[in-house]
Amino acid sequence: MKKFEILEHKADLKIKVFGKTKRELFENAMIGMLKAGKYQKNPKSQISKLKTKIKSLDLPSLLVDFLSEILYLVETKKLVFEKVEFEKFSDKEIEAILIGKELKRMGVHIKGVTYHELNIHQKRNGEWEATILFDI
Amino acid sequence: MISKKDFKKISPWLWEIPKDFRADMRVPARVYLSEKMLEEAFRDRSIEQLINVATLPGIQRYALAMPDMHEGYSSPIGGVAAIDTKEGIISPGMQGYDINCGVRILTSEWKENDLKAYLEKLANEIHKEVPSGLGRGRQLKFSIPELDKILEGGVPYLAKQGFGEKEDIESCEAGGKLPWADASAVSTHAKNRGRDQVGTLGSGNHFLEIQKVAEIFNEKVAKVFGLFKDQIVIMVHCGSRGLGHQVCSDYLREFIPLMINKYKIKVPDREFACVPFNSPEGKRALAASGAAANYAWANRQMITHFVRKAWKNVLGDRGGKLSLLYDVAHNIIKIEKYNIEGKEKEVAVHRKGATRAFPPGHPEIPQKYREVGQPVIIPGSMGTASYVLVGTKEAEEAFYSTSHGAGRTMSRHAAVRSLSGREVVQDLRRRGIIVKCYSFRGIAEEAPLAYKNIDQVIEVVHNAKLSKKVAKLLPLAVIKGE
Repeated sequence: MKKFEILEHKADLKIKVFGKTKRELFENAMIGMLKAGKYQKNPKSQISKLKTKIKSLDLPSLLVDFLSEILYLVETKKLVFEKVEFEKFSDKEIEAILIGKELKRMGVHIKGVTYHELNIHQKRNGEWEATILFDI
Repeated sequence: MISKKDFKKISPWLWEIPKDFRADMRVPARVYLSEKMLEEAFRDRSIEQLINVATLPGIQRYALAMPDMHEGYSSPIGGVAAIDTKEGIISPGMQGYDINCGVRILTSEWKENDLKAYLEKLANEIHKEVPSGLGRGRQLKFSIPELDKILEGGVPYLAKQGFGEKEDIESCEAGGKLPWADASAVSTHAKNRGRDQVGTLGSGNHFLEIQKVAEIFNEKVAKVFGLFKDQIVIMVHCGSRGLGHQVCSDYLREFIPLMINKYKIKVPDREFACVPFNSPEGKRALAASGAAANYAWANRQMITHFVRKAWKNVLGDRGGKLSLLYDVAHNIIKIEKYNIEGKEKEVAVHRKGATRAFPPGHPEIPQKYREVGQPVIIPGSMGTASYVLVGTKEAEEAFYSTSHGAGRTMSRHAAVRSLSGREVVQDLRRRGIIVKCYSFRGIAEEAPLAYKNIDQVIEVVHNAKLSKKVAKLLPLAVIKGE
């Protein structure tokens, strides 16, 4: 299953993300954002783990807030995350362990995860899909 | 679908969608475009986004879009909304994530012919001295108390610390410091992101260029601005980096539930999340936005300090002064006063990808420019012309706003697909332009063909009298962060 794809947008970065479950969707959104933004890791570095907790109004806001928190942690802890282990997951709350390696460099500095035409939904076959626009 | 027939032609450069076009519009929407550019504007969703701006509570006169308009998120890029501070809202998304992304010009005492031999060395030295802040180059790290002083003190604080001159302060919009800034309204998250990014260029369309004055359109004003033909100038384009981005994200996150549950405000897109301007939450958002704006001015000031250092390293004492001509903000919320329907009203002008352009005589512009008007700097895309213009009294109808650049016509993705960075660099080199960058991809994304023709944008700006042409600048060397 494809994790994400880049969609056309004139000025910014738009991606479509896929997941069999909501948890996988969130993990793939993180991977898609960092891959599309060309955030590069130092492959020889040690694996790092970080714990994060997020509470939000509803599922769309939770996705934006989760990704915004990832951007914050990438920039301040200098880590590129590749995997998420969720300890708690509801439509309004996440507790998770983020697993990644040292940040070598960022290709694009993603400025923000926008709520603009944010779309997150479950398809008839039970799989999840989301479209997210980033200001770059 | 919106089409040309929905517009009323006000002039060859100004088109209006009446208020009755959509039931939720509070004011008409106006676009400053030539007829050809208007037809092209239907290719993206910028006009629909501008109609959304016209629905914001408290918006006065018109929702406006400048000639470089293109699709964004919430408002189109190039959008301007003047919102009544008594009855209206404050919307961080209507300002954007890169708070006070802006541009400044440093003027030198050199002419192109005299500098030619040093150009390559200068470009290398500037590239070395000015860090991108994306993992390469120099790192400066400030403590949180120092950062708080930058957030509240802006350019005047940095100048006092030895990173600038007294003239740098008066040559910045708002003196490089907004008085309503309050560092305590900025989250620890934002401050942590900002600690090591003062004096960094960033990525995307941000750049530094060594340029020459190629043409003077108005000798009198050019003289007042200190510009002359063939003069070497340096342009710096960047913003508030991670700190500003975090401030915008923080307040959007806080405002969405407040807007829905507490204030019961309806907007067509969550990205417009807003609260009443005069509410406690609104006041804090303004204080945080002001602090982030000060940070951006300080960022451009620190870059100026590094550029001056590079200049001196290469040219020594012969280099002379690099004077700040002016520094303008592109994404900002400013409190201004206008006569609206016969009454003076205070408005919070939200400019998103638009430049303020005050007319001759305005008290908020430096004394040295007051007789002729505010200097306006409109950068072209990488490798193309940029312009210096001057504010006009006619721009009052646009809340003294004008364009901020060329405006994209092609996505970054499409640009990368259609051209390699190497080809773009080779083409620039063929035209005698030096390019210093870390990645070819970043160069391809910003290729000149991905943008509107800057000369056409400037013609509309000039003819619509949003501001008047003073000088045309051409690049000699482009330095990019990433």
